[in-house]
Amino acid sequence: MTITTSTSTSSFYATAAGQLSSLQAQVNAVDNSISSGSQYATASANPEAAAQMRMLQLQDATATVDTATADRATANLQLADSAMSQMVNDINQAKTLTTQAATGTLSDAQRASIGTQLSQIQSDMVSLANTKDVNGNALFGGGVSGSAYTTDSSGNAVYGGAATSQTLAIGGGQSVQTSLTGPEIFSMTDANGNSTNVMDAIGAIATALKAGGTSAQTAAQNGLTTLSNGLDAVTTAQTVIGARESWITLNTQNLTAQSTARATAESQIGGTDVSTAAIKLQQLTTALQASQSCFVRLSSLSLFNDIGN
Amino acid sequence: MTSSLLSIASSGAQAAEIALDITGQNIANASTDGYVRRSANMDEVASSNSWSTANDVSLSGVVVSGIVRNADSFLQSEARRTGSDTAQATSTVSGLTDVETAVEDSGVFTAIGTFTNSLKSLAENPADGSLRASVIQGGSTMASAFQIAAQSLSATQTGLQGEVSDGVAQVNTLTTQLSTINTQLSATAGATGAADSVVTTSDRASLMDQRDSLLDQISQYADIATTVQPDGVVNVNIGGVSGPPLVSGSTTNTLSTTTRTDGTQALAVGNAAVTLGGGSIAGNQTALTKLTQISTNLDRLAGSIAQAVNANQANGADLTGATGTALFSGTTAATLAMTTSSGSAIATAAAGSAADSTDPTNLSALSAALATLDPSTTMNTILTDISGSVQSATTTQATLQTLSSAASSSLASQAGVDLNTEAINLVKFQQAFQASSKVMQTASTIFTSILNLTA
Repeated sequence: MTITTSTSTSSFYATAAGQLSSLQAQVNAVDNSISSGSQYATASANPEAAAQMRMLQLQDATATVDTATADRATANLQLADSAMSQMVNDINQAKTLTTQAATGTLSDAQRASIGTQLSQIQSDMVSLANTKDVNGNALFGGGVSGSAYTTDSSGNAVYGGAATSQTLAIGGGQSVQTSLTGPEIFSMTDANGNSTNVMDAIGAIATALKAGGTSAQTAAQNGLTTLSNGLDAVTTAQTVIGARESWITLNTQNLTAQSTARATAESQIGGTDVSTAAIKLQQLTTALQASQSCFVRLSSLSLFNDIGN
Repeated sequence: MTSSLLSIASSGAQAAEIALDITGQNIANASTDGYVRRSANMDEVASSNSWSTANDVSLSGVVVSGIVRNADSFLQSEARRTGSDTAQATSTVSGLTDVETAVEDSGVFTAIGTFTNSLKSLAENPADGSLRASVIQGGSTMASAFQIAAQSLSATQTGLQGEVSDGVAQVNTLTTQLSTINTQLSATAGATGAADSVVTTSDRASLMDQRDSLLDQISQYADIATTVQPDGVVNVNIGGVSGPPLVSGSTTNTLSTTTRTDGTQALAVGNAAVTLGGGSIAGNQTALTKLTQISTNLDRLAGSIAQAVNANQANGADLTGATGTALFSGTTAATLAMTTSSGSAIATAAAGSAADSTDPTNLSALSAALATLDPSTTMNTILTDISGSVQSATTTQATLQTLSSAASSSLASQAGVDLNTEAINLVKFQQAFQASSKVMQTASTIFTSILNLTA
């Protein structure tokens, strides 16, 4: 007896079921990727893409922090900028007053009155030097809590802040100092070549003017040179601040460009190409329908339908 | 002569009836698992008597000598082997997917990112209470994420270990049943002599169906090598031809499993260790091995983060000016926890700084230490490792599934019931029966006419 080979009925049904469910699963997968907008449902569908997506998303999160930090740095720098503009105004006003005092026609009383005004400018300068940053700490004191400058018994401004300004990382491996320390702004040399600071220099002129006499006019004349030096110091510092602000702006533009590039990469790596997916869905649906009608036709073919009766 | 014709016709009618019975049986079992299509083996009866002469015509009709069980042992073992491989791949994929889900859904990667980013934010103002609170929050979220991952992995491990134990118990039950079938096959062997030859009895055909079905079931759990004896008794070795014997004749050896200290499962028959090359138990073992590796890596990562943060804490001063104390306790993913809920415990300032210091020296050192440690990349590698394993296992499974489908489909084509063929057989044997009846009628007519002649 030979063993005959024929298609068995159960294998026909098993094969048909396998094919139809496989097509159905593919249709579901495409449908899912269209509705979720992401090409892969699980990381194991494409581990490399998933790894890239994770790192890109981490970079997105980090970029958010970087942007916030950059904004804070910018805010501090703007505070510093406007405080320093005010300082420049003060010094210019001091120069105008000192120029008046340097003319020989003024009386001692008039010079003393100018000296008083200079004293007010001095204290205004000290309070400007003690400007708070966005955190409420000393803006020109390296971020210490409390004041950058205190006035000692002899009326001199004494620096009490940190040696360096606060440094913030603003992304892309870059960091920026969010301000300048007091000595970086106010250190200068007076007309005689002695080291001093702007507040003390104005104070010294004020003291000399209040003292009156012939030396007052000389002091005012020397004071003009001193104040010019002071103005130079503050405007130079302001230029540094301005340069840092534009550096942050540049860096932020860089970050934005990177963020856009990341978004593009994310959609390319993990996003669904809707038109391709839609065409694939159409193709699969057609195949599924065809398979279904094939199955119905084939399964209705049975000899039992035609034999006997 | 006429009586001979009558007996020939009756043997034909009987044979056709048996063939119709078999056809009916085939149709009834068209969708029975493990049923192999039967057919009747018919032999012509033409034996001459001892006293007959050489030229005598001696026709005695037909006899059904046995049942043919249309099983091709090569196709059967091929279907069993590929089925075993597919079962292994399927359980590997399912186990690894559980591991992937456990690690992925715990959100460890995101939590690490949130923690390191909260430290970056703290640099904006190291003395700020709310920023410090968000660091503590980030830290405890990260610790919880590690704990969730460890718990999910542990649950997955328990589940996989349970599957191995269940599989082993199933194999033992099935081998016991197989030994019973072996005993019966051995006992009925005398009925046909050469037992597993094509022609057999209907009882033995049914026993062989059961035997093959049991072998199929065992091979779903573990890869087996089978040796069929001439009397139809099958001997089974587990883990391939060189593996220890599981069933020999009517005796069975018990498969046992023990949990190793690392959580993986070892198999043995008696004292002989078993290494499986297929079957769902092998797949579970593969998944358990991967799970152990992932779990170790996760523990190492959690420990390294805790170590880096705690070591750095000791180098700095916290918000009260005191030397920083450890922020994390525990050295594994399961035990990682925050020791404090107070933001002031974070040592951001250099050692010896005054209280409420805004000095970020130690915070920068911590950020730098974490940047060097790079826990996010390590975690990403762990995640890619497991999802890569799932992907390659899935690809392997798809390939094996194709092979297995092809093998079982060719086995089904060869051994399964085709209703159209049975329909033809039904008509064929019905006509044979009717024809035999006609022969009987003819014999009867002849006999009657002879009777009338003598009367």
